[in-house]
Amino acid sequence: MKFDTIIIGGGLSGLVCGIKLQKAGQKCAIVSAGQSAMHFSSGTFDLLGRLPDGTAVENPSEAAGRLDKGHPYSILGTEAVLKYADEAKDFFAECGISVSGDARKNSWRITPAGERKPAWLTLGDFTPLASKDEKIGNRALIVNILGYLDFNTKFLADSFEKQGTECRIAAVRLDEMERLRKNPSEMRATNIARVMDRDGIWEKAALQIKELIREEDVVVLPAVFGLKDASVVDKIRETIGVRTIFAATMPPSVPGIRTQMALRSEFEKAGGRFFLGDTVTGSECRENGEIESVGTVNFGDIRLHADNFVLASGSFFSKGMIASPSKIYEPIFGIDLNYAEGRGNWFDGCFWNRQNYISFGACTKDGLHASINGNTIGNLYVIGSLLGGSNTLYEGCGGGIAIITAMAAADSILNK
Amino acid sequence: MAQARRDNEFDVIIVGGGITGAGTARDCAMRGLRVLLIERHDLATGATGRNHGLLHSGARYAVTDRESAEECIRENMILRKIARHCVEETEGLFITLPEDDLGYQAKFVESCLAAGINAEVIDPKDALRMEPSANPELIGAVKVPDGAVDPFRLTSANVIDAKLHGAKVLVYSEVTKLIKEGDTITGVEVYNAITKESAKYYAPITVNAGGIWGQRIAEMAGARINMFPAKGALLIFGHRVNNVVLNRCRKPANADILVPGDTICLIGTTSSRVPFGEVDNMYVTADEVDLLLQEGEKLAPSLATTRILRAYAGVRPLVATDDDPSGRNISRGIVLLDHETRDGIKGFISITGGKLMTYRLMAEWATDLVCKKLNIGKACRTMDTPLPGSENENIEEISKQTWAKPGTPHKATIGRHGARALNIGLKDGYDTSLVCECEEVSVGEVKYAIEELDVHNLVDLRRRTRVGMGTCQGELCACRAAGMLADAHQCTERTKNDLKNFINERWKGMYPVCWSDTLRESEYSQWIYSGVCGLEGPETHNEDNK
Repeated sequence: MKFDTIIIGGGLSGLVCGIKLQKAGQKCAIVSAGQSAMHFSSGTFDLLGRLPDGTAVENPSEAAGRLDKGHPYSILGTEAVLKYADEAKDFFAECGISVSGDARKNSWRITPAGERKPAWLTLGDFTPLASKDEKIGNRALIVNILGYLDFNTKFLADSFEKQGTECRIAAVRLDEMERLRKNPSEMRATNIARVMDRDGIWEKAALQIKELIREEDVVVLPAVFGLKDASVVDKIRETIGVRTIFAATMPPSVPGIRTQMALRSEFEKAGGRFFLGDTVTGSECRENGEIESVGTVNFGDIRLHADNFVLASGSFFSKGMIASPSKIYEPIFGIDLNYAEGRGNWFDGCFWNRQNYISFGACTKDGLHASINGNTIGNLYVIGSLLGGSNTLYEGCGGGIAIITAMAAADSILNK
Repeated sequence: MAQARRDNEFDVIIVGGGITGAGTARDCAMRGLRVLLIERHDLATGATGRNHGLLHSGARYAVTDRESAEECIRENMILRKIARHCVEETEGLFITLPEDDLGYQAKFVESCLAAGINAEVIDPKDALRMEPSANPELIGAVKVPDGAVDPFRLTSANVIDAKLHGAKVLVYSEVTKLIKEGDTITGVEVYNAITKESAKYYAPITVNAGGIWGQRIAEMAGARINMFPAKGALLIFGHRVNNVVLNRCRKPANADILVPGDTICLIGTTSSRVPFGEVDNMYVTADEVDLLLQEGEKLAPSLATTRILRAYAGVRPLVATDDDPSGRNISRGIVLLDHETRDGIKGFISITGGKLMTYRLMAEWATDLVCKKLNIGKACRTMDTPLPGSENENIEEISKQTWAKPGTPHKATIGRHGARALNIGLKDGYDTSLVCECEEVSVGEVKYAIEELDVHNLVDLRRRTRVGMGTCQGELCACRAAGMLADAHQCTERTKNDLKNFINERWKGMYPVCWSDTLRESEYSQWIYSGVCGLEGPETHNEDNK
């Protein structure tokens, strides 16, 4: 089988790259093992929240120029980062995914623990806050679904009360949920969303919630609505009639999974092939070291050929990198990685301190090209969280790196 | 004994909430004494919760320490009766590998039989049928009555019974001073880390059951006990590879016991002398991990490909008798010190040495001495009185009384609490919701632990219920349980700090073995807690640096 570009990894980065290439007329395939960080999305994409020295970032587009040399943003250059960041908003809109946000000014998201963190693009379900201490209303009614444990109403109430919002906590009980509750491990976000999506059930819930409102001017709900169709979220807002804020839950993330599905469907609608549940097992090289083809578990003897390959296989969690007791390697091509020798240097003994291993990843040459044994591979690109050079958790830039490097790699392939 | 005159007056004060202190509190309370049990952290935080959880048959000590071996097998048989909800009757094998001396086996069996341990040589092929995970190259096998015991449950059951007999229990309360009048210890000064208050308690006898920390308690009384801090490191694997305890049939050495326990199995231990100043901060080194893995794979080769959940280390409270650098040839024997005869300090005794297996006997000896000093003639009944939870041996029977159609979470709950599960409300649909999916811990069980079992934080909860002990190591259940603690304590800041400490405590056990799937799980944890939840380091570190 022959494609223009084969992308390994069907998470945010792989999908953005695939959609862009496919829409530009390329014939693309994505090989996806099926796991993606989108499944535990925070509801927002971050661009840059903090510099490595701890300085808080208000304007990511400006601060991106102050990062270390090996940071993916530095590799692309500030101008390119800003260009792609602006392009990203239109990109999502074209995919039918509603987002808001500005690369020149961070907004704030409310976390499931009631903390507030900088955000760049916010999914339509959620309400971006203009400042860290914005008051969401005078009186808030925080409503949970009875028996759902991954939405911590107390943590949220506590954080709203700090800004002077009076909070009341309530729960709705729905007969339709009782079947889920019989099996005690079933009360999880996606299962609740599946029930809510059925005819009229979200409406029943919304009417119950409306009944609970006394003097509250804002209602806070867990984001467990609209697994397939985001319009349910707006309809609930209309039914309740009072300002309604959806708050992110612990994983799985309903809006994140919906977004992942929307991106995949956009890619397939444009003619891309999405091979789900498959794993790339190995590759064949040309004489110049470039990649000729890859093999997968499901395709067996049939090789997948392409002019270009994009590695968007993620970091450790998605097995884009694998750690043994003594070394870290990239399992498909064996591309060069940057990491500290000796596992004593991978970790800090305190979970909450910056962990070195988070910044390990591919070292690239001439832009986003992978290298093997120090030799640049002209038709192999690395994008997303497999890239090293940034402590994405500390700096708050994982979403931005995924989206922006994906767009940059796509342009690089298209401009060849 | 007559009713105490004041709230802070007792017949006996027991310092140390490990298994020895808990057992002594139970025995004293059962003999009618008014008991105060004081623990500076949570129950079972020291060596009690940091060992194999092995229900020793005594076979391991048969060749080198006959006295310990005899004590072990007697107590082994007693615990099977009185603590059946804490014990798993797995049996044990002592296997000889090609690199070992098969000649040792005969001496081993002979010593076992002499100590009263039913050791039976079996054909290596039968041994492999009995335990398919054992190294197939074994050239000899001996079957012994080893088993597994859950030290957290055992401690909790002793404390529950002590309380049922009127004992008062103070956790997170550290003894800061022993009150001395002339040459007599008359009480203790205690600082409560939760209320931040100090208080004095009085009793004619104070029992030092502080394990390795007992050296400091004795120093407060003006007595010197030379403890021998011997660190033992262990690894916990994510699956239950073996169902039978596997030992190496050779002179006791590193990493030669593999014990199954609940959903996991444990390999250990190493043995190294550590300075006394380090006993509060035990960590496992990369060399220890490598050694445990290398030796463990010889017992059960599949350990090489089994995920390691975490590493941890405990400190054996051995009393130094000579300069043995390995710490292995020192007797595991019980040391009961009457400081009146030994040091001229009245009203103060120390119970130390020994091991998890002989805790009941240690408690009996200590209580006998307390009673003798108080002129009380009551006999010990702990050897034939079942612990709370073990009164009823039929689990089916218990579940019938409790739930019409018990599901697996009900069975898991009975497994952990025995007949006490009857006290856990699991009738309502909400109560059966699972907090921890790996270990099947329900909302009802968590509520019960918070209300009845002296649970003050998430780490305490883990010790009582296994929340967060499974393969995900507290990924999501910690957050769910934190929500419930926030409800119970009505303080989210405290709960949030508690959650951070809990996550960090798990991490301390994970980073020494953090590669492959454990690193994947850790990265996921980082994404969830630092990323999605946006949590940063706790404002105040829990002093419990485990």
